[in-house]
Amino acid sequence: MRFIINQAGSGGERIGSLKGFVKISTAVIETPASALFTQSGSVVHLTNEVLSKVFSNPKLLWVPLSKSYQLETGLKAQGEGVAKFAGLQNHLTCVTLHGASEITPSGHFESDSVPLWTKNGKKMISANRYMDLMEVFKPDIILAIADGHTSLDEGSKRISKALDRTSNMLNMCVTRHKNSTCLQDSSLIGVIVGVGEERKCEQSIQNILTYKENLSGVTLEGITDGSEESLTVPLEKLEAIFKRVGDALPKDFLCIIEGCWNPAVVVTAIEHGWDLFDGSYPLKLTNAGHALALQLDVNQDNKELCILNLNDESYKDDFQPVLASCECLACKKHTRAYIRHLLNTREMLASVLLSIHNLHHFDEFFHHARLHIASRTFDVFKKHIIKQYDFYKQNKKDVPIPTIQDVKTSKKKEKNKKRRVSDDDIDNVVKSDNSL
Amino acid sequence: MGAKSLALSFSVQAECNVSRARAGLMKLPHYEIKTPVFMPVGTQGTMKGLLPDQLETLDCEIILGNTYHLGNRPGTEVLEKAGGLHNFMGWNRGLLTDSGGFQMVSLLKLAEITEEGVKFKSPYDDSEIMLTPEKSIEIQNCIGADIIMQLDDVVQTTFQDYDRIKEATERTSRWLDRCLKAHKRPTEQSIFPIVQGLLNKDLREQSAKDHMTKNVNGFAIGGLSGGEAKDDFWPMVSLGTGILDKNKPRYLMGVGLAIDLVVCVALGIDMFDCVFPTRTARFGCALINKGQLNLKQKQYETDLNPIDNDCSCSTCKNYTRAYLHCIVTLETVACHLISVHNIAFQMRLMRTMREHIEKGTFPQFVKKFVNELYSDGNYPTWIVNSLNSVGINIVRK
Ligand SMILES: [Zn+2]
Ligand SMILES: [Zn+2]
Repeated sequence: MRFIINQAGSGGERIGSLKGFVKISTAVIETPASALFTQSGSVVHLTNEVLSKVFSNPKLLWVPLSKSYQLETGLKAQGEGVAKFAGLQNHLTCVTLHGASEITPSGHFESDSVPLWTKNGKKMISANRYMDLMEVFKPDIILAIADGHTSLDEGSKRISKALDRTSNMLNMCVTRHKNSTCLQDSSLIGVIVGVGEERKCEQSIQNILTYKENLSGVTLEGITDGSEESLTVPLEKLEAIFKRVGDALPKDFLCIIEGCWNPAVVVTAIEHGWDLFDGSYPLKLTNAGHALALQLDVNQDNKELCILNLNDESYKDDFQPVLASCECLACKKHTRAYIRHLLNTREMLASVLLSIHNLHHFDEFFHHARLHIASRTFDVFKKHIIKQYDFYKQNKKDVPIPTIQDVKTSKKKEKNKKRRVSDDDIDNVVKSDNSL
Repeated sequence: MGAKSLALSFSVQAECNVSRARAGLMKLPHYEIKTPVFMPVGTQGTMKGLLPDQLETLDCEIILGNTYHLGNRPGTEVLEKAGGLHNFMGWNRGLLTDSGGFQMVSLLKLAEITEEGVKFKSPYDDSEIMLTPEKSIEIQNCIGADIIMQLDDVVQTTFQDYDRIKEATERTSRWLDRCLKAHKRPTEQSIFPIVQGLLNKDLREQSAKDHMTKNVNGFAIGGLSGGEAKDDFWPMVSLGTGILDKNKPRYLMGVGLAIDLVVCVALGIDMFDCVFPTRTARFGCALINKGQLNLKQKQYETDLNPIDNDCSCSTCKNYTRAYLHCIVTLETVACHLISVHNIAFQMRLMRTMREHIEKGTFPQFVKKFVNELYSDGNYPTWIVNSLNSVGINIVRK
């Protein structure tokens, strides 16, 4: 893979493209961009068939190993890598250790390995083991294994350890990457950790730069440990970090930010030269029953909140699309009232429709960001987005959320709730002889 | 020849010259349905995570909604404002709703049935609700499905008390009259009466004959598929199709297992519904001609075949059993993928039967199907007997 900067904006923002992928030679990912977040290799809630109704061109899939570890046996049997195995061979993949928004237990580290929290519990992963897995997953982009799941106010001792461990593991990753024939089609990315402490962070960057020739870019960890609190850092503080770290990096590096960052943070990061985001934000909205509804036209004010909480009863007879200007399948064919009904009845189609809309709209948001960089008006766009997000933060109202995360949790919740008539009940009384 | 009405016209296109099977066209206000047809169940105005677009791709021509659930959520007020369920859920093809009675009686132990209707406590807010025939039709008129069901007096299929069964059967006929009288949209929606009588031959015959005297566009056979022995089940179906007007569609409620579909098509049934194909998908069960695959089983861990090599659904085109094994009961996607396949399976089976009826090769198809399913030649008696009764002779090897 090659990362090419096509145009710089008036600030640090830039338009680039990822191309030259070996698996799909014609694929081009224009940056700034967001990847699509996956679990078990699938874009969450969307099958191949439905995803192809949202995006017709190749996208970058974000594959956290923690949520796809169980694919290993099947992947080995098939031998063609995670995208093909998950039925998404028309897309590109980027594998990382954890999703940045996962809440993981603290501790459990060993000198040469880090804990991976999978659905089947803890697995200790060394750099060697990690690279073994990469040879099986065969991603287009590999984020090096690291100890980066810490928040900005993490203690100094812990950060020192994280730094050492990350540095040792990167060394191993680089060596393995150089010597593996089957990983020559994958690009390796270094991981910046310990961002909360300026000197440690510098060290982390310096360490990565020793391998400059072997790496295609960096990703910024060490800001969030996945918790809600670690995400509520004031925008100014984040901006200072984005600028400080961004300025210290070689311009031809692909710069990635992991974590569930809202649009205001995203435009701020873009302004300081950050190119790629992990896609966990639209998923978080979807799982909460929220729809992103940004006004992307800088000449128009948003007459509503930029995030709609469709759990709210006020939408029960609102027969408008989620966003009138949106061209996605969910907006063209369905209404807020219908999605609200699906949320209210905890039907899976709610997550499907919200995913379709949120992924499409988040993608459009990046498309508009690129347009503004190209026309050197990015600061106008940035202010326009931050204004909408600030207005949302001040005016949102909290509505209890019936989350639909996966089949299992929703079933559990069903049981915990007061007895209600559910599909299950009907099914239970229909036919006892229905099994072959 | 056939039933002609603005709300439904049915014409038999081809008949099997051995069995009672027939292929027909049923013209509904929203869509023209090719029968025999299987109707997937979308209880709350949605089909287990599938987009209406996907259902169209799967060739679904008509789906089912549950009146009881829809009447509660989103409720008639919202549905009315939306202009009916078709608009609300973005589905432009055929829709059928049940009466709501079945759910109540089977789910709510406290339901009390009187001549007036079914009285029960709302599971939503504990208030007392009376579902009368008039109320059921009022809700169904509001939902706006192409075909709607009369409220029937439901007794559990394996129930034995003759007097109660008799009462229920006769009451069902009386309630039919009330439903027909309360019906506000007869040019847009057809009420199907439900043949009752459980496993009692005389009562069922009486029920079917009563319904035959009414001005209706089609018939349903209810009160079966509730845990009774198969040997008791098929004669009741056969009795129904023997009496009911040949020129009108006959709908067998709650039946959807492949072998049951094949046998009952041979007995002259045109429409089926069942939650089974989509419900079982949730647990990782995929339907195939030989039965079903439980994809959770370890044997599929490295199986790189699609669910079914002969299936052309989007799941079988893109996904292996090994991958599905990794994600069943874990990701919502797994449920969607298997639902797609299972619905495709049902649709393909119905399409195949239609084609064979049209070509005059239906009996051969049935023999081949049964042979494949019971490859050891150990055919269950009920299958041998039911098929023999309509001239398709299969013999145990
Ligand atoms: Zn949209
Ligand atoms: Zn299939």
